[in-house]
Amino acid sequence: MTAFRGELVRLFATRIPWWTLLAAVLCGGGLSGLLAITGPENATPPMPGIDTPEGAGIVVGLGAVTLFVPALIGTIAVTSEYRHRTIGTTFLAVPHRGRVLGAKLAVYALLGILYGIVASISSGLVLVGAAAARGIELGTPTGELLTVLAQLAVASAVYMVLGVGIGAIARHQLLAIGAVLGYFYFLEYVLMLIPGVNALYPFLPGGATASLTRFTFLTDALAEQTTGGAAALASPALGAVILVGYALVAAAVAVWLPLRRDLA
Amino acid sequence: MNAPAIEISGLTKRFGSFEAVHDVSFTAEAGRITGFLGPNGAGKSTTLRMLLGLVRPDTGTAYISGRPYRDLPSPARTVGAVIDSAAAHPSMTARDHLRTACALSGLPAARIDDVLAAVRAEDFSDRRIGAFSTGMRQRLSLATALLGEPEILVLDEPSNGLDPFGIAWLRGFLRDFVAGGRTVLLSSHVLSEVQQTIDDVVVIDRGRIRWRGSVSDLPDDQDLEQAFLSLLDEGARR
Repeated sequence: MTAFRGELVRLFATRIPWWTLLAAVLCGGGLSGLLAITGPENATPPMPGIDTPEGAGIVVGLGAVTLFVPALIGTIAVTSEYRHRTIGTTFLAVPHRGRVLGAKLAVYALLGILYGIVASISSGLVLVGAAAARGIELGTPTGELLTVLAQLAVASAVYMVLGVGIGAIARHQLLAIGAVLGYFYFLEYVLMLIPGVNALYPFLPGGATASLTRFTFLTDALAEQTTGGAAALASPALGAVILVGYALVAAAVAVWLPLRRDLA
Repeated sequence: MNAPAIEISGLTKRFGSFEAVHDVSFTAEAGRITGFLGPNGAGKSTTLRMLLGLVRPDTGTAYISGRPYRDLPSPARTVGAVIDSAAAHPSMTARDHLRTACALSGLPAARIDDVLAAVRAEDFSDRRIGAFSTGMRQRLSLATALLGEPEILVLDEPSNGLDPFGIAWLRGFLRDFVAGGRTVLLSSHVLSEVQQTIDDVVVIDRGRIRWRGSVSDLPDDQDLEQAFLSLLDEGARR
């Protein structure tokens, strides 16, 4: 419990919470707002408008594209301990290293939820506001909209935990940031396009997120242009299970790995 | 008889094919300042890190108050350690840094003002660490080590980056610290800086202990620096 309190005190002694909230508003409300106000139907190529279920889904589901942001926040938080060499002092205060990483995971899961809630609320409000301002009725019932936003909020926490795990494995900050961006922006898309290998896509973090949120517009478009068909997705429930599975694996690795490592 | 404050027996550590520390044994006694001396790369930091549970020894044991570091019920209340004085988040203030350390060790935040006063760091306690000089960082890391009012201090190169006034101040501080029966183990590669501070000497070179004993046991006609150099020279010729 002292490790948890220590990590909370550390978090609020830095500017990470404020950057996190700012990032959440920009990636949630900011991005959705931009698309909702300009209208997806005016994009190039044109997308369904927000008066259709698909269009409204695209505007809120856009949050899924920015899930690498909470992952990056988690990664930066852990690797900054190695970058500034404070991890030694931390392990001196709490020699049972598993407790340190457990506390970090708990603190950043909470911060991830907070990020997700702020991103989802701002995204939802902006969408409803944009529809009202343009005099359009939203194409998605409120209940469905809230479900997707809640799913995205949970996914944000999962991604932040994934980021903590990646940070604990890589330790080197730039390497870890490169790994996160390279994976979510490049590798996962490449894997999705390789025939045969793309059958794995639903089981990768991005595919599981798409299964959960049903946000497939971008990936469908990408797949259609290259291979003529997208990989089938899992059910939303299975997507959620897969995502939580990744978070648990990342957490287990983050707790177990530093136990035996020398801090020379 | 009580166990020595610090007892190191047969520590050996290899990193790949490089043997950093070989069969190192020594003790640090209560009421005395023990200097752990050797040139850069001799194995001092690795030995201290094994003592503090940060590096896992291949063989041997290291005990503080009769227990391995990780088995101490409240490490910060038993031993204060400085292993890397540069280690601090640059955007935090000294006070933020100490608040975090207090929370991690379950210590009352009321200790913060006490330790800031003890190391005379009140003037820069609310400044960001990124702008600190090496000497200010040394004082902050010593303040962090003192938070739990420990009986034992383990300091890796504490006089690095201190100006002559800082070194004189540290000497006085450490002498006062052990006067009440507490223990200090400090490492250094700059012998002239610790010569007037320490009571006992452990000399390490290329991972092996070359000499240990009281400063007063050194031959009369040599000062510590000469004794140290001749010990290292002897070791090199073996």
